[in-house]
Amino acid sequence: MVRALLAVIFFAGALAALAWLPTQFGAYGVGLLLGMTGYVTLASAWALFSGPTRYVSLATVAFFGIGAYTVAVLSETLPYPLILLVAAAVGLCVALVVGLATLRLAGVYFVIFTFGLAELIRQLVTWYEVNITGTLGRYIFLPISGEQIYWQLLALAAVTIGLGWWIGRSRIGLALKVIGDDEVVAAHVGINIARVKLALFAVSATIITLVGAIQAPRWTYVEPSIVFNPTISFLTLIMALLGGANRLWGPLLGAVPLFLLFEWLSANFPNHYSIILGLLFIAIVFVMPQGVLAMVERGWSRVGQRGRKAEPAGTEAAQ
Amino acid sequence: MTALIEITGLRKQFGGLTAVDDVSFVVAEGEIVALLGPNGSGKTTVLNMISGALAPTSGAIRLAGEEIAGLGPHRIAHKGVARTFQLVRILPSLTVGENVMAALAFRHPPVWGGAAEARVETLLEEIGLGGRGAERADNLTYIDQKRMELARALAAEPRLLLLDEWLSGLNPTELQVGIELILSLRRSGMTVLLVEHIMEAVRALCSRAVVMNAGRTIADGPTEAVLADADVIRAYLGEDHA
Repeated sequence: MVRALLAVIFFAGALAALAWLPTQFGAYGVGLLLGMTGYVTLASAWALFSGPTRYVSLATVAFFGIGAYTVAVLSETLPYPLILLVAAAVGLCVALVVGLATLRLAGVYFVIFTFGLAELIRQLVTWYEVNITGTLGRYIFLPISGEQIYWQLLALAAVTIGLGWWIGRSRIGLALKVIGDDEVVAAHVGINIARVKLALFAVSATIITLVGAIQAPRWTYVEPSIVFNPTISFLTLIMALLGGANRLWGPLLGAVPLFLLFEWLSANFPNHYSIILGLLFIAIVFVMPQGVLAMVERGWSRVGQRGRKAEPAGTEAAQ
Repeated sequence: MTALIEITGLRKQFGGLTAVDDVSFVVAEGEIVALLGPNGSGKTTVLNMISGALAPTSGAIRLAGEEIAGLGPHRIAHKGVARTFQLVRILPSLTVGENVMAALAFRHPPVWGGAAEARVETLLEEIGLGGRGAERADNLTYIDQKRMELARALAAEPRLLLLDEWLSGLNPTELQVGIELILSLRRSGMTVLLVEHIMEAVRALCSRAVVMNAGRTIADGPTEAVLADADVIRAYLGEDHA
């Protein structure tokens, strides 16, 4: 009980400190914090569904872009909080429809479908803008500062990780682990696999949509090739994998260093950025497919085992 | 005795192959019935249709009078059917306790939290895995994995338990323990339908046996009589022995 209270106080304190950070930085620092928090949220939300079920989704940018576009379309007609609600609702509806249609697909077919979905939505939006509205891009003029965007993202990140924590200790969390291990067993112990997957996919997609919506005012100008850029899906995926998609803090631990690294790379090697990015992807998948956290844990347990093996020998000698 | 499970005219076709052809039999409440037959005779397919892993091509499966043929496995599980698998299926990345917990948490009505943890411990105790709930399931030996799988099936407190060659692969001592375990289930009033090749176990456990060959039932009656039946011996051992 005391431990739980201490944990709550610790996290509240950490959150307050993070919220206070922007006052110490200039515009560039705030931009950096904002982007980083955005990716922490994206990777954590992605891992909510894809971590335990091992369904690798490349649809991240589809939902991210839907969020951003909803804001772009509605920015002059509705008050801001209402726009966010509409964006979340649109994301949720698309996720439910897509989920119902695709969660039967397994393995690589699901990956390909989600990638195709992101491209399809991008092409549809482009087609609509070119043929119906007549202009490809849209402007977003909302009086929202970088700090305010950062705070919103920070809150969303906290909610996402909190949700991950709660799921991990709930029945639905156990259901996800069972499904990830063996779907046949899952069904035979009475788990409604389709419903669990759909619920998690919908929650994950809604959070991703909100990240896109919250970040939209930052760009001022949006067009499909910016907000539906597939690199966003790949970055999210690789961040979650680097940290460990099955751990609560894994995506965060992957997102922070990778985001900073990518920032540094794009500033210093603008011409070779994509090449280095590709090499990094390959390296991560090869060297630590289970993520950094799993690797550290394995290292720890090895050290622990050595310690335990040493102990009985010692007690025997004492006897 | 009232019928718990009633199978009539059950058929399963895989393309041009008829794996199960017009199978009918009844298992009464509280009975332990063996489903026998040579390899490939369709026993596991019948079990798969009862548990919902496969949908029948035609025919009826009634559980306590209620039609369950073609329902999904999770819905049939909720109606009180639990099973083990021919090739033992564990949840390798979960602990032994979580493997059993999975069945408690998703049965109807669910058991969760402290009550579930206590129940897991009791079940593991009963099955001979007491105090080992924290171990990883994939570190268990084969017999212990089978034990855990049975504990998971029992956690659902099923009305009908389906055992698919649960006793195979055990050494003689383990076999005696296994038979004793299943007998204790009968004493608790559970109904069991088991597929088994070990005749010693079948004789010890089952009052009645249903024999299949090439997708059809060729015998159905008291175990001793069925095992002495000429058709059954022919199916198992060939023409010369009949």
